[in-house]
Amino acid sequence: AIEDLFTSLNRHIQKSEFDLAVKVSDQVLSISPGDEDAVRCKLVALIKNDSIEEALSTIEQCSKKSSIDFSFFKAYCLYRQNKLDEALESLKGKEGDSATMLLEAQVLFRLGKMDACVDIYEKLQKSRIDSLEINFVAGLVSAGKASE
Amino acid sequence: NPIVLDLAYNSIEFPSLENRM
Ligand SMILES: [K+]
Repeated sequence: AIEDLFTSLNRHIQKSEFDLAVKVSDQVLSISPGDEDAVRCKLVALIKNDSIEEALSTIEQCSKKSSIDFSFFKAYCLYRQNKLDEALESLKGKEGDSATMLLEAQVLFRLGKMDACVDIYEKLQKSRIDSLEINFVAGLVSAGKASE
Repeated sequence: NPIVLDLAYNSIEFPSLENRM
């Protein structure tokens, strides 16, 4: 039953067995095509497994028959491939949750757009994100504002 | 070059499967 598959999927996730998590997600999807939790698990497992190319092709396949907003995942994969303009494009018009803002700041950093990058880290400061200050300082140093 | 962490990666989480098991 699908419940058993999700139990198994959950166990693989807890043990960081991402290959197996992808496999079980696919099993769920074969009996319940487009299942949103299974699609999300598969994508996250592929990304955590550094299978960026496969994550992108999964997004490509699923976005045709799903109403899930894949733009963050897509942008993250493009960022990993250093396709920075395309990554920004995928984030355009997305709601500014902290994951999206973190990714946008990292893309802007690589593009050398330090003022825009630092602006985002400034906004994120109240969100208490672990190690945020490391990237914030990197942005400030690169923007030539190290004394701040 | 200053160190930059992939904090976006850290923010990517599996959905809760609590109600699916
Ligand atoms: K980076």
